[in-house]
Amino acid sequence: MASRYDRAITVFSPDGHLFQVEYAQEAVKKGSTAVGIRGTNIVVLGVEKKSVAKLQDERTVRKICALDDHVCMAFAVLTIFVGLTADARVVINRACVECQSHKLTVEDPVTVEYITRFIATLKQKYTQSNGRRPFGISALIVGFDDDGISRLYQTDPSGTYHAWKANAIGRSAKTVREFLEKNYTEDAIASDSEAIKLAIKALLEVVQSGGKNIELAIIRRNQPLKMFSAKEVELYVTEIEKEKEEAEKKKSKKSV
Amino acid sequence: MAATFFGEVVKAPCRAGTEDEEEEEEGRRETPEDREVRQQLARKREVRLLRRQTKTSLEVSLLEKYPCSKFIIAIGNNAVAFLSSFVMNSGVWEEVGCAKLWNEWCRTTDTTHLSSTEAFCVFYHLKSNPLVFLCQCSCYVAEDQQYQWLEKVFGSCPRKNMQITILTCRHVTDYKTSESTGSLPSPFLRALKTQNFKDSACCPLLEQPNIVHDLPAAVLSYCQVWKIPAILYLCYTDVMKLDLITVEAFKPILSTRSLKGLVKNIPQSTEILKKLMTTNEIQSNIYT
Repeated sequence: MASRYDRAITVFSPDGHLFQVEYAQEAVKKGSTAVGIRGTNIVVLGVEKKSVAKLQDERTVRKICALDDHVCMAFAVLTIFVGLTADARVVINRACVECQSHKLTVEDPVTVEYITRFIATLKQKYTQSNGRRPFGISALIVGFDDDGISRLYQTDPSGTYHAWKANAIGRSAKTVREFLEKNYTEDAIASDSEAIKLAIKALLEVVQSGGKNIELAIIRRNQPLKMFSAKEVELYVTEIEKEKEEAEKKKSKKSV
Repeated sequence: MAATFFGEVVKAPCRAGTEDEEEEEEGRRETPEDREVRQQLARKREVRLLRRQTKTSLEVSLLEKYPCSKFIIAIGNNAVAFLSSFVMNSGVWEEVGCAKLWNEWCRTTDTTHLSSTEAFCVFYHLKSNPLVFLCQCSCYVAEDQQYQWLEKVFGSCPRKNMQITILTCRHVTDYKTSESTGSLPSPFLRALKTQNFKDSACCPLLEQPNIVHDLPAAVLSYCQVWKIPAILYLCYTDVMKLDLITVEAFKPILSTRSLKGLVKNIPQSTEILKKLMTTNEIQSNIYT
């Protein structure tokens, strides 16, 4: 029955589905995996980097972007979009403009929740207009608010948004989310380096070629955003592998 | 078909009752030209089974010429990658022949020169046990070509003392279930077997109302009709292109009787699989 009700976005099926919106969620699954973790004093965004073609300029293939960056106050809102690249670019532009417009009008930087709600409302508008299709992207938006509390929000093509402690979007997001559910503990996020390691471990579950294909960014409270270089990610990956080996040695000792 | 104001697609009812009759009359008037075109098209779409060294066509079907006790068929790029890394590198396999065919889905227009990377459907047998056959099929076999393929491979009167295992993939959105697709643990395996297959499958059987499509369905139906024990392992995945996690989802099959004795070094196979992935990565900038 789906084929009769999925040609136009503005048509409900008899059992209440908006098929175009559900199909847009499939487009998100074609993007590479991204993971976001909210620690006590840090927020972490990690994404699987697809290998760049030989002649392509790597700098133009950035996935993690700052929506708003206040250098003096060291607040920032970081985001990553997964899905159709072109749709992501359009939404990011609109969100950046909104951040500046808000600052001009209200003289305060946006809260993470405000900009998430703006993006989600924009996405929802495109599910209800004739002649337009939904944005084929999901986003993870992280940052610190004025009150110093870390935030992580996720939006999807239907225009819904929710706050999360840790989440993953894109290909194999389910596997990563299950890993996070098992391993996200208060201890794991208490220290900054543990939170970073948890993000990298979660990505390594699904990333096919190890640490060199992971892009990572963090914001610590009251500090500017930091993008990790490939070397720094490698350092963490080697640490994780060492810890894994030690854990396995202990296990084999115990069983002996 | 017509679209209503609200975008719903409906079949437009036709009040011209005589329309069908007129079409039939026109169809009967076939010119010699039409016949010639149709014959040319049939020749183009013919499935040819070629011997390896001489590249000449086989006179009889493959399994009539070579006796077989075990036949493993991989259809689709993920299934082919699984057999390449886990089974083919654990023994010495010799190419016996290949099937060449053309249809609208083929990317290559030149069917006369087959390079090893473009080979459509290649058949191998194990050197140490020539009764074990393997088929790597990475092309799409159209509906009108499936019967020809079966005839050229199995023949019109196949032996019943062989066991067939088929591996293939399907997109998870084709899986009909009352749960939402977001909650499915893709990739996951389902099996479908013929009545004569007495062993148990290493995964749940395919639930109704799901059906199998294309060449795997043709092979399974053929085996059911001729009472040959056969089992199909179908991997539902959300990544149809070559993907490590999808290929690894076939791993439970390694412990079944179908592949017993054919797999030796699993860690090495995983390394080979990873290398296969990196060499085959085609970058698309559409999806970030």
